[in-house]
This record gives sequence, C-alpha cells and structure tokens, in this order.
Amino acid sequence: MSSSFLAAFPLVFTQDVIIAMIASAIYGMIVGALPGLTATMATALLVPVTFYLSPIAAIATIITSSAMAIFAGDIPGCLVRIPGTPASAAYTDEAYKMTLKGQAETALGICLWFSALGGIVGTIALLLIAPALAEVALSFSTFEYFWLAILGLMCSTLVARSSPVKAIAAMLLGLLVSCIGIENPAGTPRFTFGSTDLLGGIDAIAALVGVFALAEVMRALTQKDPPAIPDRKLGSILKGQIELTKRYPKQQIRGNIVGTLIGALPGAGADMAAWVSYSLSKRFSKEREKFGTGHPEGLVEAGASNNAALAGGWIPALLFGIPGDTITAIAIGVLYMKGLNPGPTLFTEKASSMYALYIIFLLANLLMIPLGIAMIRISKHVLRAPRSLIMPVIMVFCAVGAFSAAGNNLYAVLIVAFFGIAGYLMEENGFPVAAMVLGIVMGTMVEQNFVTSLIKSDGSILPFLSRPIAAGLAFLTFIALFWPLIAWLRRYKASLDAASPAR
Amino acid sequence: MRISDRISGVFLALLGAAAFWGGSRLPPVPGQQVGPSAFPMVVGSGLMIVGILIALHIGRSFEEQAEAELAKHRQPDPEAEAFQRSRRWFPFLPPALMVVYYFLSERVGFVPVAAVMIAILAFALNAKRRLILPVAVLGALGIHLVFVKLLRVPLPPGPLPMPW
Repeated sequence: MSSSFLAAFPLVFTQDVIIAMIASAIYGMIVGALPGLTATMATALLVPVTFYLSPIAAIATIITSSAMAIFAGDIPGCLVRIPGTPASAAYTDEAYKMTLKGQAETALGICLWFSALGGIVGTIALLLIAPALAEVALSFSTFEYFWLAILGLMCSTLVARSSPVKAIAAMLLGLLVSCIGIENPAGTPRFTFGSTDLLGGIDAIAALVGVFALAEVMRALTQKDPPAIPDRKLGSILKGQIELTKRYPKQQIRGNIVGTLIGALPGAGADMAAWVSYSLSKRFSKEREKFGTGHPEGLVEAGASNNAALAGGWIPALLFGIPGDTITAIAIGVLYMKGLNPGPTLFTEKASSMYALYIIFLLANLLMIPLGIAMIRISKHVLRAPRSLIMPVIMVFCAVGAFSAAGNNLYAVLIVAFFGIAGYLMEENGFPVAAMVLGIVMGTMVEQNFVTSLIKSDGSILPFLSRPIAAGLAFLTFIALFWPLIAWLRRYKASLDAASPAR
Repeated sequence: MRISDRISGVFLALLGAAAFWGGSRLPPVPGQQVGPSAFPMVVGSGLMIVGILIALHIGRSFEEQAEAELAKHRQPDPEAEAFQRSRRWFPFLPPALMVVYYFLSERVGFVPVAAVMIAILAFALNAKRRLILPVAVLGALGIHLVFVKLLRVPLPPGPLPMPW
C-alpha cells in the first residue's frame, strides 16, 4: 500500500496535472458562479478537452472543476438570492437572509470553509470505504452485478423529488436508449432502422451534453436575466469560521456523513445532499425557530454536505461503474476512455492511480480556499457577464464538444439536439433526467449481466436468489421498488385517521 | 412546456409496446435460450405498465408533495410566469439551430455557421444589439481556434479556410 501511495505523488505533481488542475479550477469557479450553468454541465463540456490529457490530468480536471463549481454556486445565492447551481438551492434563502443582515462575508465564508472541509472529509471516506468494498466486490459474479445495477437504478428513482412512477419511466427510457446499436448479446443491429450511424449505439457523452447542457440553454430562453449584483464591500471572508467550526461540530460531521452517503447513492448527488442535510439540520436543531432568518447552522450542515457528496459519488463509480451522481455518470465515460475501467480490480492493479485520485481530491479542496476567496472578491465582475451572450457560445460548445467526443461524427450534433429536447420536456413535466441518464450509462452493463446470468443458469431464476449477497441485493431492490407504495399507504392511512378524529 | 400526463403516459405505453414488438422480432442466437430480444422486451413491458400508470395519474400525489415543498422556498413571481408563457416555443430554438448546423456546417464551413447560430440565439435572448455581432464573430473564431489548433478536432473548414 505504502509503495503505491508513494508512487502516486510523482503521478500528481507533474506539470500537466498541476496546470490542468489550476485551469479547471478557474473554469469550475466561473461556471459554478454563473446562474443557469451547473457543475454537471461544466463536466460535460470538459470531456473533449480530457481527450488530449494524460489519464490522471483528465480525471483531475473533472474532480477539480466540479468541486469548485459546487462551492461557487453558493456565491450568487448569497449575494443575489439566485443559486449558481442546483446544489445551492436548498440554502439560498438562508444565505441571502444573512447577507441582508449585513453578514455577507460570514455567509460566504461558511460556504467556502465548510465546502472545503466537507470535500476533505468526503475524500477520506472515499479512501477508507472504496478499497474495503473492493475486497468484497472481488467475489461478485454476474448475479451480484445484475442486482447491484438494478438496485442502483431503483435508488435513482427513489431519490428523485418527483413521482416514483415517472422516475421509473425515465429510467426505462434510458435503458431503451442503451438497447440501440449492435452492442448486444448477438451483435445484431437493434433498433437502428437501417442507419449506419446508429449501429454504434447512442453516444452517451453526446446524450449527456444534450440533457445537461443544451437543455439548460433552452431553459434560459424562458427565464429573465438575473438582477445585477449590488455594490458591497466585503470584509475578511474566513473570519470567525474557526469559532463556527467549534460551535457546530455535530452539524458539520452529520453533514459530511449524510453528504457522502447520499453522494454514494446512485443518481443522487450534491443537490439532494444539500436538501436532506438542510432539513435534517432544522429538525435536530435546538434553535429551530431561527431557521430561515439568516441562521448559520443549516448553512454549515448543508454546505459541508454537498461537497462531501461529490467524493461519495465516486465510490460506486470507481468500484462498479455505477454513477453515484450525474457528474460521475460523465466521469465513467472518461475513465473507460483512459483505460481506467471501473471495477474492484482498479484498486489492486492501478492502486497508484487511485491514490493519485485521492491526492487530487485533497489538493482541489485545499486550492478551493484561496481561489474561492479570489472568486468572491471578483464575483461582482464575473456575474456581470450577460447570460444572453454566454448561452449562445455554450450552444456552439455543445455541438463541437459532442462532435469531438463521438469520434468526430457529425451525427452526434443531432443526438445533442434530440436529447436536449427530451431533457427539457422531461424536466418540465416531472420526469427526473438523472434516472434516464443512469439508464443510458448502465444499460449495457445491466443487459450483459442479465443475459450472461440467464445463460449460466440455463434460464432458471433460482440462481439469481440463491447466493447470499445476490439475495440480499435482490431483497433491497424489491424494497426500493415497493417503498413508494408503502409510503403512500401510510400517508393515506394517516389522512383517513385525520378525517375521522376521536371515535 | 407542460404536457398532460394522459398524453405522455399513452406515448410511453405505445413506445413500450413498439419496443416489445421490435424486440420480439430480433433473430435469436442459435443454441441459446436468451438473446438480444430479452432485454428490449423486458424494458418494453415495463414502459407499457408505467405508461398506463402515468396516464391514470398514479403517483401524482408524490409530485404534488415535492412541488409544494419547492414552493415554500420560492416566492410566486407572476411577471416571470407570464414571461415564461409568452416564450413557450423559444426553448426549441437551440435544438433547431443544432439541426441547421448538422446540415450546413460541412457545406458552408464551421465559422460562418457558428457565428450565425450565436447571433440568432443572442438576439432571441435580448442581448445588447451592438454586442451581438462582435461576440458572434469572435466566439466562432475563438472556438474554431481552440478546437482545431489546440485539440486537433477536424471542424469543417468550408470554402473560407482560416489562417491557422
């Protein structure tokens, strides 16, 4: 272990990795701070750039830019009450109330300080959990992988803040998309309608650019420009953060743990982590009445949570190729491209690369503090960049980026357009796009393990349930499937009880 | 743009039926029980079921609950809603421009098509008139420079080759 750990340092501290990290940090800060541009979008548009980088540098750009973007999303939330990324939406009100009370620098400081701490704790969790789980995962057969993938997909439908039926529909749509092409058990063209472009299947990166970047450009057309940032002198950003760390140790740790766990849940990422942590903080607070009036407690917990979620998302992604959030859904594609195929063997055969990844995570979160302060100082100028001019340029980036990611195939531009429309319409109508994305990314894996298992078992269902871990995973899957029904029945019963009081 | 659950549900059910039918017609692998048809048929039947459930408004209460929770964090803004309604069809402009790019970029070249795309969308987003042209031209040239020179992506040159 120690030898691969030492071997990781020269991998990280090379010129190209350090330059890539600094450049992507600045890029992530700006994209995150601009309302309407999300961390996932930042990652999706980075993919063409990663082609030309070494594997470690490529992963470094994704890790760094997403961490910065999640923090930077807090800046416009604090200053103008508009979340820069969805991950800040949960506590935008609280942060803005603090600004109204004249505590803008404290609010921004909390976001920065606890984001960095959250990121670091999340990384430590990744470092401890992933190799241990890898040991267990080495004994997995196709049966376990099948259930694991299905469980991952079901989780993505459970965590969606929408109708579970619609979430399952979105997931199935994603699986259907993954059926297209010749990558199936028989290698026959499936749903290609005679088109040679469809033989290779739907390029996942192009689809993700459509869903996460073009759909965002489309949405901007129905929204008004955000208000200008008022001129405000900001004092010391980090002042008082140590006291807050001492005052809310429990909140911070709870935020870290919840964030990491939610990040590791497939399909749920930083935004969900922030929502859950903010409401947990409120529920367990001794000063619940202060929430919503500019109280730092919830901010501490949710700020610590959403950045921890980023690292958590990499746990299932690296171990099983199951994305923990939408950012790692894109990162998995890059991992395959760079020969770092996800799987438990990654932790034994490419151990030094994994340690390099942890070091990058730590560096990125340390880099966040000075860069974040700089970003806060210049945010007034960055936020002045007119959306009406940024969005058109991003649209062209979508076209060119997908074109190059799909091996210079012009067909990818049509895929972007199609998935842009699909993503936009789905989001507007309550179909969670994250579930569809997981379906697209994991479809081939689900099918391969499903069909191989069926062939191995001679068409019998029994072996799917006879191995202990497979049975456990199957059990969890069915709980996930029927959970909404149970929740609905309980609520229905409660409403009946309320309707007929005191018999 | 809102689509009624009846329509989207029926659409999904029909799509599922089509996937089931299309999957069932795929040739089997000789000597094997399961082939390429199994997975699309499973997914297709799933889609048929959830499509019907959605058309029957099952699960709607979960959505209402989530919406109510979100509404607590947002104050109503009738002006923004009216704006959104008045521009209902605008979101389809970017994908339409992408289709234009698909058909024209090889014939006309990347830079002119990209510049026109940027200009049209900036105009639709009510950008300052005097900024539209410079941003369109510089943006197209800049993206071309980065992708062709730095990332070596063969963007279509068209009849007007760039000096780099």
